[in-house]
Amino acid sequence: MRRVGGAHRGLDMWLMQRASALYMALFLVVFAGLLLAAGGLDYQSWRGLFRPLAMKVASLLFAAALLAHAWIGLREIFIDYLRVMAIRLPLLFLFGVLYLGCLVWAADILWSVP
Amino acid sequence: MTPRRPYYLNLREIRLPLGGWVSILHRASGAAMALAAPLFLYAWMCSLESAEGFGAVASFFSGGLGWLIGLGFLWALLHHFFAGLRHLGFDLGWGEEKERARFTALLSLVTALGLTGLMTLGSLL
Repeated sequence: MRRVGGAHRGLDMWLMQRASALYMALFLVVFAGLLLAAGGLDYQSWRGLFRPLAMKVASLLFAAALLAHAWIGLREIFIDYLRVMAIRLPLLFLFGVLYLGCLVWAADILWSVP
Repeated sequence: MTPRRPYYLNLREIRLPLGGWVSILHRASGAAMALAAPLFLYAWMCSLESAEGFGAVASFFSGGLGWLIGLGFLWALLHHFFAGLRHLGFDLGWGEEKERARFTALLSLVTALGLTGLMTLGSLL
């Protein structure tokens, strides 16, 4: 039976977890390549990495994928260990708000690099 | 009456197959990184804000407790990455046989530990 905060929305969550994982894996491989190509990083080259618009967009999508992935992962753990809805739901709310805040924060960080 | 299943959680006696350890470490590394995400966002912000901030973050991770945290994070990321690739393989129906699953469990465990070791050595040289 489906119920609020329960474990029966699994397929959507399962797919989202895979989609975000795939994007992050591709991004990380490209990012690691960029870091290796840059050699030793100093402040200027580190900032330069996030200067192109394409990199800002790709990084923001990475942050969105990561935060969604983290929230779904925490939800899995909460479903296993927090059996009391009065504890599970407020924690899911708390992390939802925290991570949405982090996403806006990440956008601000990226777009303050000129 | 529901059948009585074995319920045995003595951590000093329990014997997990290799895949079980990879799975637990996948969850533990994921949980640690999920909880640390806002802290790494903060470090990322500082590193991009000013040259002093960049220097502060770099020096934090280059010695003492910060170095240990960086090492732990590196391992968590790599283990989560390789154990995750293994799961994507399962989703596609690849590697579900006992022998192959055991081999990829060992492979993800060793690759993450090995790369962490190599990159740590590289940063020390």
